[in-house]
Amino acid sequence: MTAEPVLQVKNIHKAFGDRKILEGVSFDVYAGEMLGLIGPSGCGKSTLLKIICGLLAPDQGEVIRRSDDIGLVFQGSALLNSLSVRNNLALALDGRNLTKKEEDKIIREKLELVELSDFMYASPTRLSGGQQKRTSFARAIVNDPKIILYDEPTTGLDPVMSTVIEDYMIVLSHQLSAASIVVTHQFSTWTRTTNRVVLMFEGKIVWQGTPEEGVKSDNPFMQQFATGSREGPMLTAKI
Amino acid sequence: MTASQPKEKRFVSPLQIAEDQMLIGLTLLGQVGYLFWRTTGYMLRLQIDWAESTRQGYMIGVKSLVVVGITALFTGLAMSLQISRELVTFGADTAIGGVVSLALVREIGPITAGVIVAGRVGSSIAAELTTMMITEQIDALKVMRVDPIKFLVVPRYTAALIVIPTLSTYAMFLGLIAGIFIAKTAANVPPEAFLDSVRQTILDRDFAVHYLKSIINATVIIFFSCAIGLNTRGGAEDVGIATTRAIVWTMISIFILNFVVTSLTYAPR
Ligand SMILES: Nc1ncnc2c1ncn2[C@@H]1O[C@H](COP(=O)(O)OP(=O)(O)OP(=O)(O)O)[C@@H](O)[C@H]1O
Ligand SMILES: [Mg+2]
Repeated sequence: MTAEPVLQVKNIHKAFGDRKILEGVSFDVYAGEMLGLIGPSGCGKSTLLKIICGLLAPDQGEVIRRSDDIGLVFQGSALLNSLSVRNNLALALDGRNLTKKEEDKIIREKLELVELSDFMYASPTRLSGGQQKRTSFARAIVNDPKIILYDEPTTGLDPVMSTVIEDYMIVLSHQLSAASIVVTHQFSTWTRTTNRVVLMFEGKIVWQGTPEEGVKSDNPFMQQFATGSREGPMLTAKI
Repeated sequence: MTASQPKEKRFVSPLQIAEDQMLIGLTLLGQVGYLFWRTTGYMLRLQIDWAESTRQGYMIGVKSLVVVGITALFTGLAMSLQISRELVTFGADTAIGGVVSLALVREIGPITAGVIVAGRVGSSIAAELTTMMITEQIDALKVMRVDPIKFLVVPRYTAALIVIPTLSTYAMFLGLIAGIFIAKTAANVPPEAFLDSVRQTILDRDFAVHYLKSIINATVIIFFSCAIGLNTRGGAEDVGIATTRAIVWTMISIFILNFVVTSLTYAPR
């Protein structure tokens, strides 16, 4: 962990039209580390992940990635509806020139992990929301990437399946010593899986620290976010 | 203030509207040109997914057979009836086959197939690709380092280049059958005389123009609908807007280019 960070996010600014979404966000993520990215809905977390993986260009600032092996679990799953579950995963393996047999082996292995091997040849449109989420998870990690971005990987899953996914995220980050970022609203996910948590509010980082510190923090933003209280700096509306 | 109150209306001069539309049109043409360049680049290097192209061919072709067939048949019937009537008046019954088939090979075949496929396929491609944009499926492709142009546009264009000329020929034949039927029933011209007249009139050049037109139609349909689909962002309502836009642009372009080809190949000397 003393080496260079795998991922450096430097002073990112992004606006859509004249609405400023990100206003100077910076952090580093090292190999084997899992960074939790939390913050209220609409504060720009998904936008930041898209900038990190190159889908969106920042208005200012830069992202330095020391690996091109990158996997993204989309918030909305984003499975290709014209392909079977199997071929959604196979698409990510495209560049590796594997035989169909080798592909099948890897795909089956990853689908077993998320308990979906029975759905290998099903169309994604036939899956439930949670099943789609798990497929998206399997697809993102099918290549054993060095940078993994999870956009709400456990949202919409039952508590047991959430735990399974969280456990696997922990295993992966060790096994692959990947640099990971997880965006989540789920308390168990950021407290269980992350080494460090970054709290975003109105385009800026307002708190960061370990999850243990986060839970006990007396920072008004973090306190309000961790407890889900109406009282605090994050909400102005009154009942 | 109620929700049903109209938004603030500003006066926009017709000139301003024309200017905006021009800009939108030019942008689209630029997108179409870029897409064409990239797609044919892949195709010339034979980087084509044949399985997917076959699937697309089935969607474009087989599913259009009935509609194109009915349209061609009835256009052929109406047109032959008009032509027979006039030629009989001039005592030129034996020329019916020639005139009907000229119209079919040079104009009606390609335009019927083109317009029907534009309506059926162009719109569904625009809707499908727009939906894929909105649901981030295109983003997912990019993250997996799969080029959306290679994955989506190349197989559709490959399929269209084979299927649309085939549909044009099929439309032409059905029109011809309609012609034979009308010539026999309305003008009492036997099928043999009809076909003799066809043979004497139609040249290889007419077939060349027929295929040129249908290839142009295939190109217009695929690239306008793909360019519109791949450049639309927003929400569900934008799927409908993109679909309409694709139909309008492809139809207009098909009719204009059809005329351009006709005038370049058949202008009186
Ligand atoms: N392509 C876009 N064009 C315009 N505005 C956008 C676009 N994408 C996102 N936004 C806006 O940017 C803001 C941040 O969106 P983003 O999806 O990053 O939020 P988020 O933090 O992931 O929220 P959530 O927790 O609800 O997923 C939102 O207000 C959204 O409306
Ligand atoms: Mg989000």
